[in-house]
Formats: sequence, C-alpha cells, structure tokens
Amino acid sequence: MNASIIDPLQGDFPEVIEEYLEHGVMKCIAFNRRGTLVAAGCSDGSCVIWDFDTRGVAKVLRDKDCVAAITSVCWSKYGHRILVSVADKSLILWDVVKGEKISRTTLQQTPLKVYLHPGCSTPSVCLACPLSSAPLIVDLNSGEKTVLPVSLSDAGNDPAPPLRNKFSDGSAPFTPTAACFNKCGDLIYVGNSKGEILVIDFKTLQIRGIIPIPGGAVIKNIVFSRNGQYLLTNSNDRTLRIYDNFLPLRDGLKTLDELLHNSEEEDELGKLKAVGSKCLTLLGAFQDSITKVHWKAPCFSGDCEWVIGGSASKGEHKIYIWDRAGHLVKILEGPKEAIIDLAWHPVHPIVLSVSLTGMVYIWAKDYTENWSAFAPDFKELEENEEYVEREDEFDLMPEAEKVKEFDVDEDEEVDIMAVEKDSTFSDSDMSQEEICFLPADPTPDTPEQQDKCVGDSNQTESPLSGEAGQNGMPLSHASSALEAVENSAAEENGGSRLKRKRKPSEKILEVQEETMKKPTQKSIISSKSSKTKNKY
Amino acid sequence: MPKPPPEPAAPPPEDAAPPPEASAQPPESAAPLPEAAAPLPEAAAPLPEAAAPSSSDPTFTPYTLKHTLTHHKRAISSLKFSENGLLLASSSADKTALLFSTTTPTTTPTLLHTFSGHSKGVSDLSFSSDSRFLATASDDTTLRLHDTATGSHIKTLTGHTNYVFCVSFNPQSNTIASGSFDETVRIWDVRSGKCVRVLPAHSDPVTAVSFDRDGKLIVSSSYDGLCRIWDASTGHCVKTLIDEESPPVSFVKFSPNSKFILVGTLDNTLRLWNFSTGKFLKTYKGHVNSKFCISSAFSTTNGKCIVSGSEDNCVYLWELQSRKVIQKLEGHTDTVISVACHPTRNMIASGALGNDKTIKIWTQDED
Repeated sequence: MNASIIDPLQGDFPEVIEEYLEHGVMKCIAFNRRGTLVAAGCSDGSCVIWDFDTRGVAKVLRDKDCVAAITSVCWSKYGHRILVSVADKSLILWDVVKGEKISRTTLQQTPLKVYLHPGCSTPSVCLACPLSSAPLIVDLNSGEKTVLPVSLSDAGNDPAPPLRNKFSDGSAPFTPTAACFNKCGDLIYVGNSKGEILVIDFKTLQIRGIIPIPGGAVIKNIVFSRNGQYLLTNSNDRTLRIYDNFLPLRDGLKTLDELLHNSEEEDELGKLKAVGSKCLTLLGAFQDSITKVHWKAPCFSGDCEWVIGGSASKGEHKIYIWDRAGHLVKILEGPKEAIIDLAWHPVHPIVLSVSLTGMVYIWAKDYTENWSAFAPDFKELEENEEYVEREDEFDLMPEAEKVKEFDVDEDEEVDIMAVEKDSTFSDSDMSQEEICFLPADPTPDTPEQQDKCVGDSNQTESPLSGEAGQNGMPLSHASSALEAVENSAAEENGGSRLKRKRKPSEKILEVQEETMKKPTQKSIISSKSSKTKNKY
Repeated sequence: MPKPPPEPAAPPPEDAAPPPEASAQPPESAAPLPEAAAPLPEAAAPLPEAAAPSSSDPTFTPYTLKHTLTHHKRAISSLKFSENGLLLASSSADKTALLFSTTTPTTTPTLLHTFSGHSKGVSDLSFSSDSRFLATASDDTTLRLHDTATGSHIKTLTGHTNYVFCVSFNPQSNTIASGSFDETVRIWDVRSGKCVRVLPAHSDPVTAVSFDRDGKLIVSSSYDGLCRIWDASTGHCVKTLIDEESPPVSFVKFSPNSKFILVGTLDNTLRLWNFSTGKFLKTYKGHVNSKFCISSAFSTTNGKCIVSGSEDNCVYLWELQSRKVIQKLEGHTDTVISVACHPTRNMIASGALGNDKTIKIWTQDED
C-alpha cells in the first residue's frame, strides 16, 4: 500500500547477485503469490520454505517415504497448500501451516512439472506433465487421473477421417508435452510435440482451439504471465515466443464457444485453427542468433514487462532479459554452474536462479544510495554547476518569512483508519484468508538448550571435539542446531567453573551500574536540550 | 550557525546521582536547564480547555481511574497491550518487565510473569502480533525475547553498542527493529536471533521505531530532529521528514492505516504528518513535553483520540479532528512517560516515572 513512496525508479530488472540461499541441494523454486515466501524442492525429497523477508528457513516439509529428488513445486493460490512432483513418480500435497502431508498420489511416469488448479484456495486437482506421456489431470483426493488430448485425433470429439492418417504416423508418444492453466483455471493450454498450442476446456477436456507455432518444433515450456495477458512458449527450435491472449480473463470459455459457433469453416481442424487465431496472436520471438542456445525455465517478470530465459548450455549461468517487444536488454552472468530453474518475484525486480549445485542465487538491482532521501532539502546534481546567488538571497526579511508560515488547514478531516485495496493483487478474493507468512519460532538460545544438549555432548564427545567440529562443519540446514550444540559444548568446556564465574560477573555489573548510575530510560536529556535551545 | 559538537553519545548526566532509591527519578534532579524548568506546567498550557479537569464535549464519557498497579520498584518506561487485548506488559528502570493478564475487563490485572535477566533498566518492549513473544530493550545494550505463555527467556539479541532505547516487532513478527543510543536502527531475524541489517539511521540517539501495517516501511525518530522512513525489505532510506526548526523528535508512530505518522517533539508538540507529501496535518498542544521521550497512542475504540503522557503528571486526550483536549487524566504523581490504548475496549494504561512508579488503568464507564 505504501509502495508508491518506495523509489519509483526501482521498477526495473535485476543486475547483480545480492545474496544466495543454501540448504541441501535445491532443484526447483516457486514464489508464493505475494513473494513473501519461496518454496524450494530439494534432491533429498524435502521441500524448504524460505521466509523471503529474512532469507531464513521458515519450515521444512519432509516425508519419510519420499527420498527422491523433487522435480517441481507449486503453491495454491492463497498459499495454504504446496504440491510437489517427485522423481519417484509421486505427487505430494502438503498443508503449509501444519506442515503435514495431505495426500500422496503415484503416477505411471515421472512428473516433470505440476500446477495446482488456480481457481480454488484449497485445490485438490492438479495438472501434471510427465516425462514421456500426455499431461494428466489428477484428482489428489481420489487419485483419479485423466489424460489430456495432445492432438486433435486423440481428442475424440470429432475424429475427422482426413486427419486420422496424418496423425497415425506418430503423435510420438514418448515426447514430453508442456501444459499450463490459464489464470482462472477454466482452460488448459497444451504445447505438443508437433509445435501446436491446443486450447482445452478444463471441464470437458475437449480441444477448443489450435494455434500452430511457426516452424512446428517440439514445445518444451509453456507459461502464462501473472496477469494472464501473455503466454510464453519455449520450443526446440531455440526460440521463445510471446503471445497476446485475446480471450477475456473471465468467461474465456463462453467467448470460445461463441467463436466456435460463428466459425464458417467446414472441417473441424480449420474451425479450431480459425478459433485459435482469435485466441492468441504472436507478439514476438526471442533467440540468440549467434550462439543458438537452447532456453531453460523461461518466465515473465511480475509486471509482465520483461521476459527471462536461462541459457541451457552446460557450465554456464547466463540469464537473458528481454523486454516484451523482443529487445534483449541484459545478460546476467553468474558462476560457472548450469541453471536449472528460474523465478521472478511477483512484485519486485528480483530473480531467483537455481544452479546445478543446488544453490539459489538472488539477483537484484544494483542499488545506488538516494542521498536526497536522507536530506530532502538537498538537491542532487548530475554535474557541477556554478551557482550565482540572488542579490537579496541572504537578506533578512522577517515579514517575508512570516508569510511562509504553513498554509495548512488543520481543520480538514483526516481518516486514520481507511485502508485502500492493494491494486497489485486486485484479483484477491477478500473472503479468502491468504497465508503470506509462517509464524516465526525462534530457536532458543543455548542456556535453555544446555540442559538438553549437555548430556549428549558428554556422552558422545569430549568438550574439545566440539570445537574441532566447528571448523570442519559443512554448511548445512542443520548448522544452526549444530551451532547450538557447539556453543553448549563450549560452555561445557568451562565446566563447573563457568557457573561459579557467572555470579561474580553479575555482581561486577551491578557494582558498575551503581557507580555509573545509568540514566533511567526515556530520559535522554543531557546537553541535547541545551543544544536545541542554542539553535533557536 | 554551527551546531555544537554532538555530545559523546550518551554518558548519563546522572553519573553523580545518589544511590538507587533517590535516583529512581534521576532526570528531574539532573535537568538543571533553566529553560526547561522555567515554564510551569500550567503556564505552558496555552489552551484554556487544557486547564479544565474533564471533558468539554458533553457527548464524551470521561475516563475514570479503575486500577493502580504498584509492582515496579522504579520508574516505568513503557507499556503495551497485546494485539488480542488479553495481555498488558510493562517495562521499568528496575531491570524487569512484567506481564499482566487483562482477560476480564473489571478485575485488577493479575501478574502472570516477571521477566528479569537484563542487567540494566529496560526502556521499551513490544509484543509479536500473535502475542506469543515479548521483546524487551535495555540499557545493557541487549534485547531479550521472552515467551509470554511460559514466561521463559528465549533469546538475547546482541549487537548494539549502547543503550537500546526502542523496539518493535513487524506485523508478520518475523523481524524486530530496534533503535539505540548508538544512533543505529538494527533489524533482527526472530528465528535466528541474528542482526540482519544495521541502518545508519541518525546522528543522535534513536528514540522510536515503528512498522507500518503491512511491514513494508519502518519509521525512526531521533534527537537529531529527523524522522526517517525506511524500506524494511532492503534497508534503504526512502524519505526524511524535516521541520523548519528541528527540535529533538521524542516519539513517532504510524497511524492505524499507516497513511500518517504521529510525531512527538520536545517543544511540547504532537503532530500528525502526511509522510508522503511531507506536510503536517494536525497539531496537538497543551501538554508538557520538553525533556522525556513520552509515548503517545491512537485511541480508536470509541471515537478517535490522540492520547499522550505529559510532564505535568497527567494523561492528555485530544479529539483527533478538532485537536481539542477533551480530557486530562489526573492521578499520577510524576511525569507520565508511557500510555497504551486497549485494542478493543475503552481502556487506557499509563505509567509514570520514579516518584510515582505506578501503572494506572483508566476506563470509560459504560451505561
């Protein structure tokens, strides 16, 4: 709500690595809708939720039956649930606040990407894109799976004879197929191996429109912008394409029906293509014509102004940033580790990139201090200026200064209660409580832990070994717990002497205080007041 | 005119003050400033309404004294109600913070826990939004985090190099901001207890820190006469508010909707500022505040009021829009240093300095 006074020039794209997150080996990431939490799937099957404000771990979701790598992670719209797809072919749905598993569903194929249905706060239906078969709609409660059509012939709504033989040669069953929901979830957009985008009705699973992509290369990724206005595809021809969505964000289905109804085309395919051409139009295509790299994990910025794609070359951590019109504006170059996932913050110009080593890098703007924020009566100059003072500039003119007295009408009513709705999240359903934060449970300081840990450290290691461990300790999620043990071990080091030592030190403090006579708080008087008096 | 050199941070002027009992109220004795001492409280109140003991508005039900809590051994420094209204916490120069239950509206608040552990006086405290935790700021340069349910100490936050003077949880309660005599504002991660950011906030002691309602902004005030607004997520200074004359700013707080800030200055003035435009909207005068960092509050449970302590031993209530004093609560026998308004009930808590040492609970009689 107060975003307006935060520097308006910040609405740009990131430039430098500001920080990194480290916790196990992370494979994939997703921001929640507000960008306050980040979920990261790890190679050991756990899912870490980061508090993006403090950049600390807020929660770890772990299931003892799940030890395979997470391939994809997805938040429910209001942050109550997280769905992960796992390399052991399962899908696990989590309750975020409780940290409990809600359900686990096993598929025939390894799911590479999952999306929870966006239209519901506690969704139990998802879209899964497996490694080598058509995308599925999975009901996570019942385990029921429905395969989506990936070409007109297997849609079954009208197997037109002339088309059949065309497809019989192989709508190759072993190619990955990309799919995603539109913003409200009543349509699914599938990118198939023949280079077509199919618009599918979520309810009936019928194909309602077809948009062939120039070149017809296999579509590897398909993703909508946050506002639902633009669609991005990544094809095997090393090109990203951006489409403008012509369907209204709500009731898109109805518009589709009308289009289909009014179509004058005779055959089914022609009809669907005619409709398709009215659903999406190509806005631009991005590629690197020199290096001809394949793209990885492309996505939009939160405000849909920018598009990013990672270079899929090995040992290269390059993030390309284009504006929506297709101009390359920046290439971010990170450490020599391949990129495996990317995510743009929903609100801020911040990008997260996951490297092959399992680290998450936080890319942000290279901030330059805005000095006029510190001293509003100062003006920042681009270059030196010769200042010529006015003739009367330093003359004292008491009357003139009086006139300057505030022209404030203090009787004007002020409203200290009313809050405006946040326009960035205008699609919020106010009746839904959104989970933006997980309660912070501070880890107690060592003295409290001492009782618990001291016994352990006595049994397992000598006081010295605790110190030795400190140097060799790998940075891991357990490090804070380990630290606690070490600290208590270190205290234990002092043994009983420590306890005896403590008392005198307390006394010393008291004595010091007695002699110092610290000010009662809230009594910063001192020479300050005299100083201000001087200034008058 | 050049400023006099800033004094070496804070070495207390009370250095030579007598032993604890007598020094419980050091400021009075140690404030030999003729200017400050000269205007008698009554004389300093220019509004005639201010002199009237009770309401000038016939529709206003006056607050009356309900309870007096005498647990603290030295001056009170700060009072806060928890957001759920079930708890009241107080901090004191006696090195402790106390937690009272205010579950039942009519009975005397009962003492639940005593948080001791600070080696020097406690200056301020703050509840987490879910009321589970209480952070205390002390002259021993540390902050301590306590569990309100068990009364146990959870963490000690160390890093400040001088008295910690003010503290505030953010609404999400995953971070704590603290202001200190070391002239910095520090941001702490509640989970780890580590200092995540040091803001080079001011050039004099920081007197107050406050988060806006969604935790995106922090406002800090200081003896250097400035209020600064910070982007909480990046730690960047977003804006500085400056008055023509810049008396030390003793208190700042966001309005309930976070569109305005209430600013107290040591020239007996409280002002409501629109910080986006940098203009002030309302001025509240009549009370006496030239020496201490007295806290103020928005009372929103029955009409809209500004409530503040005062150095004439009273609690002042102004009607928000008209800026008129609608009531003066009399009863304390020393400067009222802190006030707190109950989030839902028509209840005000006030605490006073060392000649008084009490917390008083005031309520409006319901008919």
